[in-house]
Amino acid sequence: MVEIDAVVKVYGDAGGYRALDGVSFTVPEGQFAAIMGPSGCGKSTLLNVLGLMDQPTSGSYKLDATAVQGLSDAERTHLRRDKLGFVFQSFNLLPRMTALQNVCLPMGYAGLSRKDRLERAHGLLARVGLKGKELRTPLELSGGERQRVGIARSLANRPRLLLADEPTGNLDSKTSVEIMALFRELHAEGMTLLLVTHDPGIAAQADRILRVKDGRIVADERPAAQPA
Amino acid sequence: MNVGESVRTGFVEIWSHKTRSFLSFSSIAFGVAAILYTFANVNGMYIRRTKAFDIAGPGRLEIEKRESGGFSALVGLSKGLTTGDAEAMRAAMPWLYMLSPTLRASADLRDGDFRDRVQLEGVTLDWAKRGWVFTKRGRFFNSHDLANAARVCIVLEQGGWAGKKPFWARFWRDDNFAGHARRADMLGRTIQLDDGLYTVIGVLKNPPRDKDPRWFFRSGGLLILPLTTVQRYLARRGATDSLDGVDNIIVDTGSVETIPRARRRIEALLSGRHRGVADYEIKDFREMVQNMLENMRKYAVAVLAVGVVAVLAGGVGIMNVTLATIFSRIREIGVRRALGGTRADILVQFLTEAALLGVLGGIAGIGLGLSGIRYLSDDGAETVAALLWWHFPATLAISAGTALLFALYPAYQASRLDPVEALRYE
Ligand SMILES: Nc1ncnc2c1ncn2[C@@H]1O[C@H](COP(=O)(O)OP(=O)(O)O)[C@@H](O)[C@H]1O
Ligand SMILES: [Mg+2]
Repeated sequence: MVEIDAVVKVYGDAGGYRALDGVSFTVPEGQFAAIMGPSGCGKSTLLNVLGLMDQPTSGSYKLDATAVQGLSDAERTHLRRDKLGFVFQSFNLLPRMTALQNVCLPMGYAGLSRKDRLERAHGLLARVGLKGKELRTPLELSGGERQRVGIARSLANRPRLLLADEPTGNLDSKTSVEIMALFRELHAEGMTLLLVTHDPGIAAQADRILRVKDGRIVADERPAAQPA
Repeated sequence: MNVGESVRTGFVEIWSHKTRSFLSFSSIAFGVAAILYTFANVNGMYIRRTKAFDIAGPGRLEIEKRESGGFSALVGLSKGLTTGDAEAMRAAMPWLYMLSPTLRASADLRDGDFRDRVQLEGVTLDWAKRGWVFTKRGRFFNSHDLANAARVCIVLEQGGWAGKKPFWARFWRDDNFAGHARRADMLGRTIQLDDGLYTVIGVLKNPPRDKDPRWFFRSGGLLILPLTTVQRYLARRGATDSLDGVDNIIVDTGSVETIPRARRRIEALLSGRHRGVADYEIKDFREMVQNMLENMRKYAVAVLAVGVVAVLAGGVGIMNVTLATIFSRIREIGVRRALGGTRADILVQFLTEAALLGVLGGIAGIGLGLSGIRYLSDDGAETVAALLWWHFPATLAISAGTALLFALYPAYQASRLDPVEALRYE
């Protein structure tokens, strides 16, 4: 699903800050990989490159067997829209829109009819446990509920890969457990997942843990023990 | 992203920034109102010109009496403009459709207890050929009345207003006699003018004032009498004025093509009869109307300029609003990009919002313009009626276009934002 090789990301001009310093790994379809590492080590940068939000300075990247180098901004955006889902730490819901409208947003860009959008959005919100709260705005939802909307939205265009940057970072531990249950459910259904986290308990639920330090992968390990 | 979606989002955004939206919206509205007002007036002007030409007759010329001034030695050489001039012109050009000499005067009128000083006009039979639509009761003068300077007169009753009287007319008191003429049926009565008694043989009613296209010759004459009668009994004349003097002679040659020929003949004829004294002036009616239209056009251009400036100010407002909006929505732009919105989607979204503001402002401006025209201009209803259907889409296009144009730069800026930076923005 994801193949990157010797990816370098330098901020600023040449000789600027090397946020990614030759990162290579492969994530097969259906894998749940956790990315861990200290703050500022380049995890978000990595996710942005994988999410086609940012272009690496050098190195190659194949997403679902498509080489993305040299694609135009619009082409990358279309790939992102059709194959990728983002879940953010701070949810990034549009505050003036209802949960339903937020979930509809990516489908609008994909050109789905209004009827299809609403139908699918209702289904997704029901699936993340928000049935009956479709018309609430983010302000009227708890943190956990907001993240559920965020997950529903990330699934709107039926992506092949979910990228989550510290999705439980703003949630209490009880809510985190609930959100992680959702991710595990998605994984069980075959979704490929890349999840950045600081929490070893969460990383332990993954198939694989990639440890990053100073822009490099320093360890690629299987979790010691699957949780009960 | 489809346009319907952008429009919906646009409404939400506009609504959640009411004050900001309202400011740019209202400047657009004022501009549009001014532009619409101009459209209405310009078109009304052309409609009126056409009507004026229709009514005045196609070949109209006016010979107006003028104080010769200057060389007093010459004054004695000419008798001034006279009935004789009119008769000579008629004899030289029997083909003229109308040749109507008039003499204005004023007199003290008494009708029972009613007294007033009134304007009157002495006319000949050709006056009837001016062809204006009156309702007539009684009869017009005949050649007998003219030949004998009969003591008869015709009352010109003012038309009043067809629709609601415009508010400004309430401050404009109807002339005393005009009111009296409307209230009292004067047909057949004998009235006193200065020292003489005159019989009212006819009553002519003017068309309603707001339906009357003779906007440039609203003359003060309220009574008409045979020209000879006025000359003999009512004219105040100076020592040098002749007994058969007139104020003007209105000529209708019958067609536009014959005006230059008639004009040359008249110039030659009068120059001989007046022995070179320039105590008259020949005015081409078309020239007069054209001059008047020229002035109106200048005025229209001025109003249009104001409208354009207002719309531009609205555009700058919209640019400002769009820039501010974008600034407060940088993160949203990042989210939208992350969710699959292309640069074009972002551009379209902000342009749609601006165009919405423009269209809404335009609609409000049309409302404002229409009520403005109705209540502020003299002939409101008629001016509004002068608007053509395409004036409305045109004004809307102007406002939406301006809004779009001014939103282009900020919207472009928004679409160029780096999505990662935008998402990071607090
Ligand atoms: N736009 C940028 N310009 C310069 N440096 C940046 C930029 N974005 C991130 N960095 C730097 O790159 C490093 C990695 O950042 P990031 O990927 O956000 O780390 P994290 O692992 O905490 O998510 C950090 O030191 C950060 O300061
Ligand atoms: Mg980070």
